[in-house]
Amino acid sequence: MNLNTGKQVLTISNLCATVAGKDILKGVDLEIRAGEVHAIMGPNGSGKSTLAQVLAGREDYEVTAGSVSFDGVDMLALRPEERARAGFFLGFQYPVEIPGVNNAYLLKAALNAKRKAANLPEVDAYEFLALIKAKMKFMQMDESFLSRGVNEGFSGGEKKRNEILQMLILEPKLAVLDETDSGLDIDALKVVAAGVNSLRGGEHAIILITHYQRLLDYIEPDRVHVFAGGRIQKSGDKSLALELEDRGYDWVRGDRVA
Amino acid sequence: MNEPANKAATSAALRSFEASWRARPADGLAAMRGEAMQRFLALGLPTPRDESWRYTNLRAMAAMSFIDAPRIANGAVTAAPGESWIAGAGMSAIRILNGYPQLGAGADSGLAHVAVRSLRAVAESEPKVIAERHTAAAESEEGRWTLLNRALFVDGLHLRITGRVAGPILIVHAANCPDGSHAVHSRLIVETGPGAAATIIEHHLGAGGGTLLANRATEIDLAPGASIEHYRVFSGDERTTQFDSVDVRHGADSRCRQFTVVLGGALVRTDLRAHLGGIGAQHDSYALLAGRGARQIDCVNTIVHAAPRTTSNQTARAIGAGSSRVVFNSKVIVERGAAGAQSQQSSRGLLLSPNAELDTRPQLQIHEDDVKCAHGATTGRLDPDMLFYLLSRGIERSAAQSLLIYAFLDDVLTGIASMPTRRAIEDALVEELPDADLLRSFR
Repeated sequence: MNLNTGKQVLTISNLCATVAGKDILKGVDLEIRAGEVHAIMGPNGSGKSTLAQVLAGREDYEVTAGSVSFDGVDMLALRPEERARAGFFLGFQYPVEIPGVNNAYLLKAALNAKRKAANLPEVDAYEFLALIKAKMKFMQMDESFLSRGVNEGFSGGEKKRNEILQMLILEPKLAVLDETDSGLDIDALKVVAAGVNSLRGGEHAIILITHYQRLLDYIEPDRVHVFAGGRIQKSGDKSLALELEDRGYDWVRGDRVA
Repeated sequence: MNEPANKAATSAALRSFEASWRARPADGLAAMRGEAMQRFLALGLPTPRDESWRYTNLRAMAAMSFIDAPRIANGAVTAAPGESWIAGAGMSAIRILNGYPQLGAGADSGLAHVAVRSLRAVAESEPKVIAERHTAAAESEEGRWTLLNRALFVDGLHLRITGRVAGPILIVHAANCPDGSHAVHSRLIVETGPGAAATIIEHHLGAGGGTLLANRATEIDLAPGASIEHYRVFSGDERTTQFDSVDVRHGADSRCRQFTVVLGGALVRTDLRAHLGGIGAQHDSYALLAGRGARQIDCVNTIVHAAPRTTSNQTARAIGAGSSRVVFNSKVIVERGAAGAQSQQSSRGLLLSPNAELDTRPQLQIHEDDVKCAHGATTGRLDPDMLFYLLSRGIERSAAQSLLIYAFLDDVLTGIASMPTRRAIEDALVEELPDADLLRSFR
């Protein structure tokens, strides 16, 4: 039983979305409170990543019904950059490489955009450098990352670490990590998990989208949701993940509403 | 029927050029000027049917009459039009106003290893130095503006570089023609001694109000082992037309890094001809072509590998905003006997507006078996995944777009070895993009 009485951070009600006329999300309902970690698990093609992209505000998707309230604000009315500044963070499944845009500068600009929106002064260069170096050390990242282009020439694992690094710098109210565990070896997985766990608690809520139970060995979720057919089919505590591991996704597919 | 398309229209411009030619002094260069003028008149103005002019229509210009920009005595202009924003610490600046260099008395540039003379002074004392020069440009029909330059140049500079020159030499091409339609024909000749090394920056400004046709030619002769970094930066206004040709002749093991940066002007046609005639010579060219408003940019490179183990690399980045039109036309010729030649071309275009147009034409002519040649050309819009990634990090859309535009130019900008020059070009570029303040904080 979940006794968390933190503030409601995200409320998704009957969210439906299409891409190119095709229904992908078919009535998603989800509630998350501050301090909670939720895992959304489901088979490939079930719409988990679409949910992440819709929450981030990707224009390719059209929301056809439902609502999303983020920290008391109608999130669907905000532009992607406004959502980020309001404290939403998406950790991408496939972080894009942007040669020519410096990693450190992007982080600084992102942090300052957020601080500006909160009427805080810009972070000064020394302060920022100290912050980023500490976080990079924690994420076991080489300092040469600072001077490289965003994700440029990074391995899959490096890209994922970089996503978590950004999350740690930006300290979002809600982070959605889209298959951050995929393609990671066990050492990288531990580092990524440590990053996520370090943010855990307090004001921060985290949604882990994952295909495998493996990540949940390192990050213990408060709630587990099984996503199939464009909506959440089943919710439970962490034991649901283990049950899912045993019984496979076909088990929940059977419950699917046509 | 094979009627020249612009026959009626060309005559006004041609007649005005002819009148200017008749006004040139009967000095030791008269025969050279006469021959060049006759050939130019026979060729006429280029039309879209000319292979290397197919994208640039000169019909409007052909209907205009141009008079020579007047000579303005040293010190006569106090409020000089358009100071160069490249000028920086450690640079030696020479101003050429309306085609006439503003030099102090004598040939002493104050720079070690450089002798600077006005071309007019050279014409008076040693006309043969100029009259006997032959350039690939003037030999070809594509180089007809170079022919006109040869016929009409009023003055210019002659640089003789004999050693390693410490700081960049900045040549500011300014014009003071507040009204009317003026033409400036000036010429720069750079001769190098073996092992000489220098950075030469030509900054082309606008006319300060009037309509300007600037027809300039630069010739660089590289002795064995010489090394030159040459920049031409165009930042004229929307009443400026630039025809600018650069000819580089390479001796053995010589190096040239050539940058063509177009940030201004209504019509800017740049020609680059590099002749790799010495064994082991290398030519690297970079083009940064920023099309915006109604600007037309026509950048034509011709690289000739004429000796063994020669290398050329071309990097071009073109941006098309507004209703601009940008052409990058590059031809690499590997002659028989140029065994072991290596050539690479990378040309990329970024389309920022549905009304802009970018054309890239990489061409290769290979007459030798033992060569390595590669080229890649792409044109596209801003990458939506990159844009979304930046937005998702809270970056304002306009700033994100500017950042990506800036990043697109990175390959050229990072190639600029002279840091003050790079800074100045980046600053000027940033001014042209939205969210200049944020971009500045990014550097």
